[in-house]
Amino acid sequence: MSNASGNAYALTTLCPITNGAILDDQGNETEAHDKVVRRLLQDIPLNEGSFFAEVDNTYFARLFILNDVFFQQGNEFEQDHLKSKYLCFNSNFHGDLEPYLESMWNNCEPQVRSIWQHCVGFNLVNSAHEFITYIKACQLKTTLFFNGSNDESLTKQLKALYVKQIFSEFVLTQQGKSASETKQNFKYFLQRVQLNNLQSPSWKPGQSELKP
Amino acid sequence: MSKTLDLYDIQGNICKGYGRYGFPKARYFFISFNEVSDSRNFLLNLIEKITTAEVWPVRNDSSVKPSSTTNIGFTYAGLAALKIPERSLKGFPVDFTMGMKARSHILGDTGSNSPEHWDSIWQGDKVHAWLSINGRDDDEISQRYSEMKALLSDYPGIELLSGHRGPNGSILEYQDASAVFENGEATGKEHFGFTDGIGNPYFEGSGIHISRLPGRGKLMRDGSWQPLAAGEFVLGHPDEAREYPPAPEPKLLSRNGTFMVYRKLHENVDTFAHYLDTHVKGFDGSKDLLMAKMSGRWPDNGAPLTLAATDEEKAALDARMADLVQRTDDGDECAKGQLKQLRSQWINFDYDKDASGSKCPIGAHIRRTNTRGSLEHEKGAFDRPGALVDRRRLMRRGLPYGGIDETMSDSGEQGIIFMSIGASIERQFEFVQQQWVNYSNDFKLGNDKDPLIGNHDGHLTDKHIIQSGHPPQETALHGQPSKPPFFCTEMPRFVETRGGDYFFIPSITALRMIAEDMIDPS
Amino acid sequence: MSNTAGKAYAMNVITPIPWWKAIWQWVIFNAVIYLPTFLKGLINLSLIHYARWTLIGRNSFPHLGPNQPKEDLHYSYMMFESNFNGSWDQYIDSFSFAIPSGLDMFWRHNVGYPKSIPLHGFYDYIRFNQVETDHYYNAYPCAAANDVKTAISLFDNLKDFSEQLSSLDDDEFLVAYNEFLNDNQASLGSMGIAPGAANE
Repeated sequence: MSNASGNAYALTTLCPITNGAILDDQGNETEAHDKVVRRLLQDIPLNEGSFFAEVDNTYFARLFILNDVFFQQGNEFEQDHLKSKYLCFNSNFHGDLEPYLESMWNNCEPQVRSIWQHCVGFNLVNSAHEFITYIKACQLKTTLFFNGSNDESLTKQLKALYVKQIFSEFVLTQQGKSASETKQNFKYFLQRVQLNNLQSPSWKPGQSELKP
Repeated sequence: MSKTLDLYDIQGNICKGYGRYGFPKARYFFISFNEVSDSRNFLLNLIEKITTAEVWPVRNDSSVKPSSTTNIGFTYAGLAALKIPERSLKGFPVDFTMGMKARSHILGDTGSNSPEHWDSIWQGDKVHAWLSINGRDDDEISQRYSEMKALLSDYPGIELLSGHRGPNGSILEYQDASAVFENGEATGKEHFGFTDGIGNPYFEGSGIHISRLPGRGKLMRDGSWQPLAAGEFVLGHPDEAREYPPAPEPKLLSRNGTFMVYRKLHENVDTFAHYLDTHVKGFDGSKDLLMAKMSGRWPDNGAPLTLAATDEEKAALDARMADLVQRTDDGDECAKGQLKQLRSQWINFDYDKDASGSKCPIGAHIRRTNTRGSLEHEKGAFDRPGALVDRRRLMRRGLPYGGIDETMSDSGEQGIIFMSIGASIERQFEFVQQQWVNYSNDFKLGNDKDPLIGNHDGHLTDKHIIQSGHPPQETALHGQPSKPPFFCTEMPRFVETRGGDYFFIPSITALRMIAEDMIDPS
Repeated sequence: MSNTAGKAYAMNVITPIPWWKAIWQWVIFNAVIYLPTFLKGLINLSLIHYARWTLIGRNSFPHLGPNQPKEDLHYSYMMFESNFNGSWDQYIDSFSFAIPSGLDMFWRHNVGYPKSIPLHGFYDYIRFNQVETDHYYNAYPCAAANDVKTAISLFDNLKDFSEQLSSLDDDEFLVAYNEFLNDNQASLGSMGIAPGAANE
């Protein structure tokens, strides 16, 4: 199944944006939907501040607007134009699609609404279930998914990165020490990093700096 | 299909490293074009003095070679000052146009490397052209320099710039450089004690003897070596991507020219010596071995670690070398052949049998700056073993400076004038500097840096891993307990940038066009 | 607008492909799973976290309701998305140096595609058809794909190693610890942030 590679899932969606402008209470046209969406997207805080940091198991996510397809220039090519603009929402995450979308709705409903309300038919979405249905209607089947990394849970990935940070420093401080010292310090190291507790201590999703 | 280049049109230092031809001394000086017509007239008069890449058939035949060489290059600011047409100026690549100072974030020229600490000549945008003199000895340098100064004095619209820090606190109007001499002989050494400058790339049409190809060209799948395409180092000729390197219009302006990176790299000799003395205590090997494990080559004779990876192996190699040299001197033809074969391994080697870094550490200086096919972890994965390095080669032309008129120290003036030539500053020099010197993702070693020239700050994690001498999973074979890898930690900044810029080295044709203001602006 | 997040770059490229060639392209994509050569090149480059190719039939753009006009297109489309390490130039360079025939295999049937060699035709084609990312989220901006992979390997090995701890005396521990370092020395690179980026 090409949407997934092991437990890693590649979600590809094109969500049509409502054409035209937003109407105010008097029915007058204000700004175009796509312009508002674009501004909203560009204003989303980056890294740990992004709402995707709250969506469990998101490895990578992106949002962009597809204005139109590109004319390849030249007499031998046809000119195509899209009749709507599309919000492209692509995500790489661990696990299955439905729990993922449910987590997205439950943890980030206000942000999701503020963006997706400009998409066709989203006014009918009022629950996680309806959100899942909506996204599935916008989903494109990935043809080839290349996984150059792994398919572990995000929790494990972040924990492993944290442990690597601490351990790679630990080994530097132990060089040349005696057997008993090294063994004792290694025990302290294990107490500090708590290998069996994947949740904590660990890196936080979207963490943009190393913490000592 | 072999390529010939018009070597009389190409400036000499592109095809030749003058040091090999008996010119161990150099003087570099920089000028500013304050007035256009004076500047152009100066250039016109300079042309006949410029050394080209013509072949000097016999190395020691001084009747063929000039007594000293002269070459010239221009910054973007210099070309603009000479009023090159706007259209041509816009055709230069962004890296050259911005200049080296403006690219400091890419190069890691931060902290003590940052431009505010550079020699005063590099402050502002006054440097318009670089001129070089290479000579056999100080007298020939001085003589040619006097001639040049005399010529310059005819053109008051040109300013000879001062501002190079020199020995004993002096501020000079030139930068001297020289091979390090030992017992009256010029060596390839630099001031940390390493033998430098081994293994420059070999390209088609350079006029260099074919015997120098193995280990210097591109490695083919069948193990043979081919010359690199001329366009990797000379504009106007097809490069390894089967196209002409991006270059400004008109074609005659860029053809047979190239770009040069010039960097003054200060060496903190005390800091380096102290670091070695401190860390060799916990290291299982001699100081020379520790140095070799940082650089990739033994300091005394430049033997690569792939040839001798321990003190014992080095001693055996040295003994074998000495024996072969002796027998060759005695007229033993067989020994002569063997000696030649052995010497060729100084350049002609790869890391195929050293994937884990047990001989030459993966992060060692020469393994970073010329990866030699080691990035193809699975054989056959790429078009060619060297696919990721062939277009990242650095043609080096510099010399050490300092250490002659004053005692060397951290606060003294000594180091290397690093010069690198290539058709694309960004793809060649800048990539190596950013991705392979100050970063290690391609080596799967995260944020580790080059032990010698990385921009360390003495933090615990400013480190270099010397991989264990026993490759992992083979310790059982040796029947001994594993030796762990050795970590060089808290590395301070051994090398600091003290100045430099990016230069365009025009062909003789282009130089004349610039001087005669003959570049078509349409 | 953010195409980068820490050590990762988000590339989106959408290119037209004649609908009947799209079928053949679909076959090639599915066959690639069984052809190790091309994937070997990608894996050895180890610059990519996750990448995907999606063929969009010309009648398959999502249509959600009667008030959304239906698309009427000559071409089908191929969307390529990648999360990779390095700058745009470095990424494209690495691919075109190392696996030019692989690139051709994937884009050959796309409208207007020049071959991947000479280089600048390919550069221009990708740039021309690239769509900028408006928001890019990376769960670990401080980690390249290699950092994640070595971290997982190290973590699993550390867990196994730590379980032996109680059964070893001091000297035995040191021997085992040194052996552990030896076996895992390829996973001990320092962690840090992305190297300074060139302007796009």
